[in-house]
Amino acid sequence: MNWPEFRRAFRLPLGKRAVKGEVAAELEFHLQGRIEELMAAGLSRTEAEREARARFGDLPRIGAELERIDREMVRRRSLAEWLEGWRRDLRQAFRSLRRTPGFTAVAVLTLGLGIGANTAIFSVVDGVLLRPAPFQEMDRLVMVWQTDRKSGTLREPASLPDYFDLQRESRRLDRLAGFVPAEITLTPDDGEPSRVATLLMTHGLLPMLGITPLAGRGFTPEEDRPGAPRVVLIGEELWERLFLRDPAITNKSLRLNDIPHAIVGVLPASADFGTLQILGAAAYGRGFADRGGPARVDAWLPLRPNPTPESRGTHPLLMVGRLGAGVGLEPAQEELTTLAAGLERTYAQSNDGRGIFLEALPEVVFGPVRPALLVLLGAVALVLLVACANVANLLLARATTRMREVTVRAALGASGRRLAAQFFAESALLTGAGVILGLGLAVVGLRALMGMAPSDIPRVGSIGIDARVLGVTMAVAAGVGLLFGILPMLQLRGGNIQSLLQGERGSSAGKRHRRLRSALVMAELALAVMLMAGAGLLIRSFWRLHQVDPGFAAERVLKAEFELPRSRYSRRIEAQRFADELRRRVSALPGVVSVAIAGSHPLDAGFTSSIVVPGREAEAADWPEPSIRRVDAGYFRTVGGTLVAGRFFDASDDVEAAPVLLINEAAGAQFFRGTNPLGQRISLWGAQRTVVGVVGNERIHGLVAATPPAVYMPVTQEPVSGGSLLVRVRGNPAGLAPAVRATVRELDPGLALFGVEPLGETLSNSLGQRRFTMVVLGAFAAVSLLLAVIGVHGVLSYTVAQRTREIGIRMALGADQGNVRTLVVGQGAVLAGAGLAIGLLGAFALTRVLGTLLYGVGATDPVTFGAVALLLGGVALLASYFPARKATRVSPVEALREE
Amino acid sequence: MAPSDLELLRGTLDLILLKTLSWGPLHGLAVVRWIEQTTHQRLQIEEGALYPALHRMEQRGWLEAEWGYTDQGRRAKYYQLTALGRRQLALELRKWSRYSEAMGMVIAAEARP
Repeated sequence: MNWPEFRRAFRLPLGKRAVKGEVAAELEFHLQGRIEELMAAGLSRTEAEREARARFGDLPRIGAELERIDREMVRRRSLAEWLEGWRRDLRQAFRSLRRTPGFTAVAVLTLGLGIGANTAIFSVVDGVLLRPAPFQEMDRLVMVWQTDRKSGTLREPASLPDYFDLQRESRRLDRLAGFVPAEITLTPDDGEPSRVATLLMTHGLLPMLGITPLAGRGFTPEEDRPGAPRVVLIGEELWERLFLRDPAITNKSLRLNDIPHAIVGVLPASADFGTLQILGAAAYGRGFADRGGPARVDAWLPLRPNPTPESRGTHPLLMVGRLGAGVGLEPAQEELTTLAAGLERTYAQSNDGRGIFLEALPEVVFGPVRPALLVLLGAVALVLLVACANVANLLLARATTRMREVTVRAALGASGRRLAAQFFAESALLTGAGVILGLGLAVVGLRALMGMAPSDIPRVGSIGIDARVLGVTMAVAAGVGLLFGILPMLQLRGGNIQSLLQGERGSSAGKRHRRLRSALVMAELALAVMLMAGAGLLIRSFWRLHQVDPGFAAERVLKAEFELPRSRYSRRIEAQRFADELRRRVSALPGVVSVAIAGSHPLDAGFTSSIVVPGREAEAADWPEPSIRRVDAGYFRTVGGTLVAGRFFDASDDVEAAPVLLINEAAGAQFFRGTNPLGQRISLWGAQRTVVGVVGNERIHGLVAATPPAVYMPVTQEPVSGGSLLVRVRGNPAGLAPAVRATVRELDPGLALFGVEPLGETLSNSLGQRRFTMVVLGAFAAVSLLLAVIGVHGVLSYTVAQRTREIGIRMALGADQGNVRTLVVGQGAVLAGAGLAIGLLGAFALTRVLGTLLYGVGATDPVTFGAVALLLGGVALLASYFPARKATRVSPVEALREE
Repeated sequence: MAPSDLELLRGTLDLILLKTLSWGPLHGLAVVRWIEQTTHQRLQIEEGALYPALHRMEQRGWLEAEWGYTDQGRRAKYYQLTALGRRQLALELRKWSRYSEAMGMVIAAEARP
């Protein structure tokens, strides 16, 4: 049979609208063919039409079915084609990026750094400051501090009787609760005794905060009375460590300070209401918060308060209250001030000068870290800006060099959409890779931040990568990537292909690009300058702090703390015997230079007590209470204290001898201004004591704060039942720690040794938050400087590449290498100069926000700013040197032949 | 024998159409005519069923449709086997010959042993 000649007309058009017409045409063709056939066989037209339709069957139904099939087919095909198009674009984008590995690596790294750093820092800020605290009505919670007009201190703990009076009489606080920090020895059934941080609290504290136990129950009022059976609430971590989360925990008991306590419940790890921050804010009675390093409360005990009349003179209790519904801080403050004035009148002896200071709990907990975190937040936003500017810069450079390629393709008929899709695919690939890298960096960075974070940052444990944070940062980065990725397309649309084809050099788009890129680089440099100025100021502050004389020589001193349990050391002589034996045995260890035992180590604020100088009782009413420190004869030799006048303690100052004391310089200035303190008498703890010496100030409140007055008494006259063992060694102090631990274990296997670390570490831990801020800000400054340098290098290299011909002509006309180098480096200098000027202006305006983070330097310290200017200038010149060298190697002949 | 006395067995239409198109592109009407001629009118295709079958095969990718012109210069839609269609044809042929072989054995059997 003959095959009909098949002549192609056109491809089946893809389109839903065309389907109907096609189906109709196909069926019409069929029917017409049939009709002609039938007419040729002798039927009339009408008969033929009827016969043809009859043979075909239900025409409308079949037509509808065909349309349905075709429409479905069109839909599937266009989807498949769309996907295929994307795959092709992405594959091509991948290949094109692989051809320029330098560009790709830098762009991805830049994006990754920006996204990663931002996500990490935002996550910290979010976890610490922004996410709601797990307490009900946090904004109604207040710290109720006792104030002391005499010493001018604002944040002191309260006495038990005062607490009960305030609780009973206040109407504007609807609840008042309190707690006392303590460290107690936990003796597990098996294993070594350890020291755990504990809170003794009134039974109302947990319900007021809205903390509910994970298992078991809180304390009842009956358990919170003197002589009540011993009960304890344990922390989640302890539950896990000692009891493997045994649900039957409430049948168990725990040995604390050698006394069994029945476990009544478990508190969740998230129940930290800012204990460390509250303790840290207190003037004294800070307990384990002074320890430095991360402290976690492992056990809670009922306070079982016994408010005897005498106890009005001692101040152990930190009070937390809740404002009545609708009551503001001010009215409550007024009421409590009135109540405190009443107590002052009634109990003149103990309450003279005592007031009340209310402070919002969130302010206490978050206030101290807020400035540092906000500074870091601002800084990291600047880093993101630099990163975005850098990516924009890189993409623009790439776009410019590809302008010809794009133009040619457009001239050859590539549609705008097609080209845009390809640029879009490249940007999407870059951004995607940047996001993945950024996420990885965020995880690593966050881990590093948490490892470095000082313990005084609240809620550090609850920080995790936040999806919202990541999302926002990604969106910003992706926005920049895509915008600058398809910019060349927009320019193509606006410009005319003809001029582009003739050469990019003369094109206005090229010039626009160059100006935009220079502006971006200047912005990068300026932002980097601001960050460097901030970091520089913090580094200077830190350096200044390290130059502060702490009043003792911390190097080569090992510190270990202990507390003798009352159950086994109830008598003075027992504690003394232990101390003597410990001193003797540790002295015998190899490498030990000297040993001391003291009630508190040189960085422990300790406690205060009031003193009286006979004959000056009236004046003494306004004197602040000095810090009371009990030390042995070897103390000052061991910690390296200085003697200003008189003598240190010696072996003759024993129980038999007359009571003596030493004062520090601050106490001398406060109590004996203008007179010679030596030989004067001070009445303290019911005895008159003679001042035998004046010692240099030990910075017991840390390097930043001023040293308060302090008095020292010999432990031989006022023994301690706990405190610090201080050992000066010849070599590395940390190396002696195991030997010291072993010695203590030999002496008393049931005694827990804690806070074992070189004293130098204690000192540097006290600067933890400052170091944290400094290191992070320093890292940001370094990253932004690096990015800015990449930007400078990129712009100059590009300029050199573009001006090859011009340079060639210049050289042909007699310019030497020096001229050419000057030309390029000059351009770099202009960029750096402009960036530096803008950045320094910005820094002048911005470094003020560092405020309290600075120590010993002004916010516009000229030395720091000068150093930043030098560093940036040097690095920028270095970055322009390489392109300049390349320019000098241009061969005039080749340059002119090119193009 | 009167025309159209053989009912089409289910599932054989695909095979017939694939085979018909295996020599080259045809439009729908030509497919019908070719089948009628080849089978001497014994096998009559219901025309209404033909087109949905063709379209469905196109959807499956066995056929490719294209508009072209007949000898008379009329615009008609031509169907052509794709590579996938050829594979399908081979498959259907094997299936059919196994089927008819088995049928033959049944019919040729003389008595139950």
